[in-house]
Amino acid sequence: MIKIVLLSIVNAVAVWAAIVLADHHKWRAVAVLVLVTVVIDFIYLTNRWTLPLKFLVPGTVFLLAFQAIPVVYTINVAFTNYSTGHILSHSEAVSAIKQNSLSEPANGASYTIAPARDSSATFLLILQNESGETFVGTKDGLKPIPRTDVTVSDGEITKARGYKILQGAELATLDKQLSSFTVPVGAGKAIQPQGFDTAVVLEPTLRYDAQRDSFVRISDGAVYRNNGLGSYVAANHTELEPGWKTYIGVRNFSRILHSKLIRSPFLKVFAWTLFFATSVVFVSFAIGLLLAVTLNKPGMALLRTYRSLLVIPYAVPAFLSLLVWQGLLNDDFGVVNQLFHINIPWLFDPWWARVSVIFVSVWLTVPYFFLVSLGALQSIPGELIEAARVDGAGARQVFRKVTLPLLLVAVAPLMIASFAFNFNNFNNIYLLTQGGPAMPNSPIAGATDILISYTYKIAFAAGKGQDYGLATAIGIIIFFVVATISAISFSRTKALENLA
Amino acid sequence: MSTAERTAELTLPQASERRGPRRRRLGDTWWRHVIAVVAIVIALFPIAYVVSAAFNADSSLSGSALIPRHVTLDNFRELFFGQKKSVGHATFQNAHYGNWFLNSMVVAGATALLTVLLSALAAYAFSRFRFRGRRFGMVALLLIQMFPQLLAVVAIYLIVFNAGEVFHFIGLNTLTALILVYLGGAMGVNTWLMKGFFDTIPKELDESARVDGATPAQVFWGVILPLAAPVLAVIALISFITTLNDFAIASVILQTQHKLTLPVGLQQYIDQKYSEHWGPFAAGVLIAAVPAALLFAATQRYIVQGLTSGAVKG
Repeated sequence: MIKIVLLSIVNAVAVWAAIVLADHHKWRAVAVLVLVTVVIDFIYLTNRWTLPLKFLVPGTVFLLAFQAIPVVYTINVAFTNYSTGHILSHSEAVSAIKQNSLSEPANGASYTIAPARDSSATFLLILQNESGETFVGTKDGLKPIPRTDVTVSDGEITKARGYKILQGAELATLDKQLSSFTVPVGAGKAIQPQGFDTAVVLEPTLRYDAQRDSFVRISDGAVYRNNGLGSYVAANHTELEPGWKTYIGVRNFSRILHSKLIRSPFLKVFAWTLFFATSVVFVSFAIGLLLAVTLNKPGMALLRTYRSLLVIPYAVPAFLSLLVWQGLLNDDFGVVNQLFHINIPWLFDPWWARVSVIFVSVWLTVPYFFLVSLGALQSIPGELIEAARVDGAGARQVFRKVTLPLLLVAVAPLMIASFAFNFNNFNNIYLLTQGGPAMPNSPIAGATDILISYTYKIAFAAGKGQDYGLATAIGIIIFFVVATISAISFSRTKALENLA
Repeated sequence: MSTAERTAELTLPQASERRGPRRRRLGDTWWRHVIAVVAIVIALFPIAYVVSAAFNADSSLSGSALIPRHVTLDNFRELFFGQKKSVGHATFQNAHYGNWFLNSMVVAGATALLTVLLSALAAYAFSRFRFRGRRFGMVALLLIQMFPQLLAVVAIYLIVFNAGEVFHFIGLNTLTALILVYLGGAMGVNTWLMKGFFDTIPKELDESARVDGATPAQVFWGVILPLAAPVLAVIALISFITTLNDFAIASVILQTQHKLTLPVGLQQYIDQKYSEHWGPFAAGVLIAAVPAALLFAATQRYIVQGLTSGAVKG
């Protein structure tokens, strides 16, 4: 019964969504939607072999939509030049270039205008040229109207029969619409408003040659050719703005290898990422193990209190601790500097920032390795240690030859997992230093940037231009690094044996 | 006398013998206390500082001492009702903390609940049914999870942006979009963990329920889920904390102040303005830590067990 209700809701939503999509002419999306809905209906209304699918479908839908498709899309974008200046499609870019090339000729005609609406409230212009003729201008073109229909007083158009002249407050709100409004008048020319009461005729400075897919500058005949990489480029390497989005093969990847501006920061960031993840894991493990050994002493006073106090940082969401540490390490006001009466730029000097990032990450990770090591220590059979003692091994020898190897069997896979986690530990970097301080020779990368924060900044850093193509290409490289690590870890932990 | 009792009797004297030399070495444990206390001071120092700053009347970072001279609730008031005294920065005149907190709870709560539901459904299928493609499905889950959503953040942004062009309620700057995106990562490891747990629930239980006429769905809701409550709680907690912690995806999808989640909101609130906002910020941190800490305390037992199988953040 509940099944029928839920299924009806799904279908109702699907039908509604299909209508909306059709309204936007997204026909491929409609097709996918209809197909998915039909498959879902089939699975839930058939009673035989689809039983397991009934339980698998809900999660799978989300998995496909927000995990699998993003992966495919990421790969797709990595082979394009999708970036600031290359957002539009080819045809959109061509019309944008045509539009941009319009400029006012030396002795161009001008019009007196008044913004108005017709009976169906469509926005348009009432115009009068220098010889007194009157027109209606829409985005489709110029249409003459009888001079007698229009009232002009003091050089201002005040009335037009059949049209409502816009005034005052309403006019002010249309400022943006007005400045982008043009009336085409043939041969690529267009009338464009200059303020609220005059308009000028603009002429194109570039001519589009559709057959050769190139632009010709009308004044001197210079040719801008489609360079196959999403731009029109002249012989002297000047480009027309904007470009368009297109596939550019493996160029994003080869840029990482060959472009000086990218290769040097990329390699530095890569090296730092490896060092950061490795050192955080090993230092945290060492300290966690030390604490575990220290507190693995049954009968010691205050033992339980110590253990639960040590785990408290683990119960605080990491993002909060990170933001707090950013404040504590602030060089001007930070408590750390004040407490020890020192003046170290913890977060603003490249080397100190690296030290701080590792220190805080270790602070966050130690409780985990403490708990894990403690658990592993306690699961080591006492007889083994006893036996080693009986054979005459000292405490240090027992630890090195018996305890540590047994402990590592349990903890090593977790160290690999922790490495993979810290390799992409975006928060620890971004919430402490935002990857900074900036590297001297790179506009984007900073001294503490790891690959994932570098990628994020390439794609989303405000004001520096956004390069989705390059960002996704680096994302794919990160994936291969992490995948290799995970593959090693899986073969060790034998997780796949659980498949039986 | 049973064998078990006999062995107990035999081992007892041994145990008391062992205790003897340990007692004598009790003085040796002083260094353990030293290490523990030092570690605890380092571990708790930032937390103590936040608690103190939250109640300190002097809300600037530079003037704060660990033991506040004047205790006040002004910082909390400022967080929720905006600034009383003007400090010169007009940007954060309006308090959005309440919104951020609610948004975070809604997003993390909904994601956690739905994650548990979606992965439990899938885990049930993998645990109880034998079907073609089962093995493939499980391996595929594991493999696809190796590409974390964080790496696809650009693609996710573009997908949400395009979806929003048609359906505004799942576009940029909506919590629904954020939840949907997080649910993309719901299966994967979670399904594996749950499947492992479901496998330990005796099949005889659901078979007898089936004999009594229960449908597979009724077995799932009535038999499996109640028995799996501990693992459900742990996965809900992990999912809640992970979602709560996410900065990158949330910062890309959410845009206006009143839509932000706690990490994004607090980061912008405090960014480069520590000296002025320290007091209210500390109050905000304190409140934000409460839900997670409570959940952690409630499920701690299971978490510590699960740690050794590598299931939790680290």
